[in-house]
Amino acid sequence: MSTLTLRPTRKRLKSRTGANVRIISGVVACFLFLVPVIWMVATSFKLPTDIFTTPPSFFAPITFSNYGSYMDAADIPHRMMNTVIVAIGASVLSVVAGAMAGYALSRLRIKGAATIGVLILVSRGVPPIALAVPMFLVARKLNITDLHITLILAYCTFLIPYVMWLMRSFFLALPKELEESAMIDGTSRLGAFFRIIVPISMPGLISTLIFSVILAWEELLFALVLTNRNAATIPVAIAGMAADTENGAMWGQLAAVGTITVLPLIVFALLVQKWLVKGLAESATKG
Amino acid sequence: MNAIQIAKPISGLAQSKSGRRFQKYRVLDFFDRWTFMVPAAVLLLAVLAYPLLYTVQISFAKLDLATFAPSEWVGWENYATVLTDRGFLNSMKVTAIYLVLALPIQMFLGFGIAFLINAEWRGRGLIRALFLIPMVIVPVVAGGVWKMLLDPLWGVFNWMGSLVGLPTVDWLGDPTLAMVSIVMIDTWRWTPFIVLIASAALMALPQDVFEAAAVDGTRWWQTLRYITMPLLAPIIAATFVVRWLGAVKMFDIALAATRGGPGQSTNVVNLYIYEQAFRSLKFGESSAMAVIILIITVILTLIFLAMSKKLEDRF
Repeated sequence: MSTLTLRPTRKRLKSRTGANVRIISGVVACFLFLVPVIWMVATSFKLPTDIFTTPPSFFAPITFSNYGSYMDAADIPHRMMNTVIVAIGASVLSVVAGAMAGYALSRLRIKGAATIGVLILVSRGVPPIALAVPMFLVARKLNITDLHITLILAYCTFLIPYVMWLMRSFFLALPKELEESAMIDGTSRLGAFFRIIVPISMPGLISTLIFSVILAWEELLFALVLTNRNAATIPVAIAGMAADTENGAMWGQLAAVGTITVLPLIVFALLVQKWLVKGLAESATKG
Repeated sequence: MNAIQIAKPISGLAQSKSGRRFQKYRVLDFFDRWTFMVPAAVLLLAVLAYPLLYTVQISFAKLDLATFAPSEWVGWENYATVLTDRGFLNSMKVTAIYLVLALPIQMFLGFGIAFLINAEWRGRGLIRALFLIPMVIVPVVAGGVWKMLLDPLWGVFNWMGSLVGLPTVDWLGDPTLAMVSIVMIDTWRWTPFIVLIASAALMALPQDVFEAAAVDGTRWWQTLRYITMPLLAPIIAATFVVRWLGAVKMFDIALAATRGGPGQSTNVVNLYIYEQAFRSLKFGESSAMAVIILIITVILTLIFLAMSKKLEDRF
């Protein structure tokens, strides 16, 4: 009797310690991954004298000077605006076009659909540099460099295949009866799509849109190649600052620009974390 | 139940419609469906297919720098040049080293940390949310911030090393350590991405199998070997493909942290082609390099996809 009651208790005790070890190491791992971010934000509020010291200062007086005059001089507000315009423009365009195509792929009874599916995935492996060179030459020829629309179109190259892939699996999971019953009532397929499928798919569409905004927000290569002043985005400015070896003392400013660049994305990601994680899992496992 | 009962009479109604009307409806529907493809198809043809073909075209030409248009056909000359170009061959080697180091480390760490943070407790949701943060740090910012962290004079890394008596290390100044640093930065930036996928995948595993195994008294390594691994293998493969597709685009972090240096030790292929095209203005040669990289990437991607599919079928 006593052995019977003892054994499960000991086992539970053992698994409790195991769980605690897991929890603690998980928390430590999470903290380690956050250190560079915390350090960047902290640096952005430090004076140069507190940045360039050994040992590093942990409780330095707070200054906002890194967010002040330098930002205007480096044209940061304008570049931030460009980033917002391009990221949102490219994402909306890609989600509309990509979701429609993803819907067609999930519903088309055509032999090519599987091939198109593989093509989309392969096209996600196309190195952007193979597109950047011709895009630069064509944009120069057409005299459309340094325009928002050029960058928006360039971003469609990686956003549309991405959206198609995500939304295809999303639509495949929806029952066909949904739009079929509406179409028998006389609605066209296009009408059924916008009136029935789109509202139901809102969570999927929004998470895809957020993913797209993040991807477009952080893009560097096309922005470097296709813009120089008017439509230049924030990553271009940061690349310039990081490469600047002559003024090695720009850490505070770099940290400040970095902070305002990632802050919107962090807020965004945390607000919609449930959809984001779901979308991530789907992008890897379904298809 | 209800839905099926309602759906049946409706589909019966559709079949009872006259044949011609039904035919017309089918044709209309066919066009309707293709209209869905038009916006994406037009955009992708214009911004993806056309530039790719143009790249192939330029790769066989000499580019006139006054007009930025192909001026003279040179056949395979550009390919012959780049295939004997030490810088290009080196950049492919550097990229291969980066991929071989970074991908397994990130997969291993990602699934390992996912296992840790999936332990059930009150803070699990918060920890998972916090893991989203490094994942949305713009890669070029990551490169810039890590450049500060690894600085030999004022960097936190060297200060921490000095606390435990390590000598000062110029992380980004030494060819070998610079590669280690690039892999480290990339791992920092991308592991959370794998953690989140893996964490969702681990949670979706059927629990009853594990309970049955526990009742049968299976040891933890037996569970891992015979239950968890077979269930996870397709997911690991799929995650690997997604990460691979991202990793072959490696550019931002190397540009911000090392700019390919010191020497050529971290000059990944995308960075090298970029410099050749837009700094040296060698558009013909860089197009040839881009085509070579494109072909290699597509072949490897197809191989990985096939392997992932095989794994999926096997388990």
